[in-house]
Amino acid sequence: MLKNVLSRLVRETVRVHRHVSAAPSIQTLTGCRVSVRSFAEVKDEVQPPFDSSLLEVLVCPLSKKPLRYDANTNELINEELGIAYPIVDGIPNMIPQEARLLQKDTQTPSTPSE
Amino acid sequence: MAASLRLLVRRLARLSHRSITSAAANVSWRSGCCLGPSSSRCLSDAAEDRSTHFGFETVSEAEKAKRVYKVFENVAQKYDIMNDAMSLGVHRLWKDILLHAMHPQPGARLLDVAGGTGDISFRFLDYVNYQQERQKRRATGSSQSLSWQDISDKYPEEDRPQESRAVVCDINKEMLKVGKQRADSMGIISGVSWVVGDAEELPFDDDQFDIYTIAFGIRNVTHINQALLEAFRVLKPGGRFMCLEFSKVTNPVLASLYDAYSFQVIPVLGEVIAGDWKSYQYLVESIRKFPDQEEFKGMIEDAGFCCVQYFNFTGGVVALHSGFKL
Repeated sequence: MLKNVLSRLVRETVRVHRHVSAAPSIQTLTGCRVSVRSFAEVKDEVQPPFDSSLLEVLVCPLSKKPLRYDANTNELINEELGIAYPIVDGIPNMIPQEARLLQKDTQTPSTPSE
Repeated sequence: MAASLRLLVRRLARLSHRSITSAAANVSWRSGCCLGPSSSRCLSDAAEDRSTHFGFETVSEAEKAKRVYKVFENVAQKYDIMNDAMSLGVHRLWKDILLHAMHPQPGARLLDVAGGTGDISFRFLDYVNYQQERQKRRATGSSQSLSWQDISDKYPEEDRPQESRAVVCDINKEMLKVGKQRADSMGIISGVSWVVGDAEELPFDDDQFDIYTIAFGIRNVTHINQALLEAFRVLKPGGRFMCLEFSKVTNPVLASLYDAYSFQVIPVLGEVIAGDWKSYQYLVESIRKFPDQEEFKGMIEDAGFCCVQYFNFTGGVVALHSGFKL
């Protein structure tokens, strides 16, 4: 009887190992796990940290000028044109149509000249 | 034996012909009437007036961008599974061949446009990490005669300048989200960055990247020439442009088999696995509307690239176009 229990244990672990080693299934399995993890992150109200090394390469798609990262609003700001690109889930959204026009009552007095 | 084979081929051709002639008929009269308005338009007109193709349909350019966005928004979650199902896993081989042709060295900077779920970028990182380990092993192997101190001194020097990084740029947030989740689940914390951006208007400065790849994405771009010009702009001098895309099958037998498979099987798979017939119908139609190997090579040369060549895979089902910015 003990032998049966042991053999079943071994079979189960082997099956788990096989699942772990099979790449495609991992994506579906860990996919659910990841969503639980990100749930915990969202609870803290802290977005996944924005990768500031991206700032070295990112520029405004319209003017090709470097951007300033604003940690308060979590946006990338082009002061010259007065637009702000949002960062969602740590991924900056550099589509010009989705950028926000900065209001005139911000610290930069220059009005966006489009 | 030959006779029965010929019968089979003829029957298959008839099958595919039936589905294609109806589509081809649409193409011929639609392309006729959309040539007129597009040639009479000047530069400044709004995108709504210019028309382009969305699969076998004719739509305005603004609408095409929106509809392509919707297609990929719908398929994002099941994208990788569908790729495996539709190509029977062969797409992995195509992407592996792309990486081998690329042969990136540690320290290279990759821009993966329309990178979506990150297939190319993950392979890139694996490749350069492997190359780096090989180099380290070779270095320590050759310096066996040195003291332990000298060997350990070498390590930090090698690591710092060899920071390879991949930037995945896609116009679709959903695809990037799936890609980021995959990266998290694979435990990749550094080396890949994700950006939402338009291939026709890249948010990167000039002369930034060593390699620019666009795998199975360029046929969805509204203005392909604009995307090619942007690719030229962001590459460093000496940088390489590589494009994997579905292309024209030259062999007629294979072509009719491929057409039958594309139009009969793939949308059905799309419905069964992803619950979306129309998106996959669009995908196979967009392959037919994309220029063939030679024409695309001409477009790449027009954008300024040199030494443009293409390699056919699987009989021309997929073509890898490569060009250099010199």
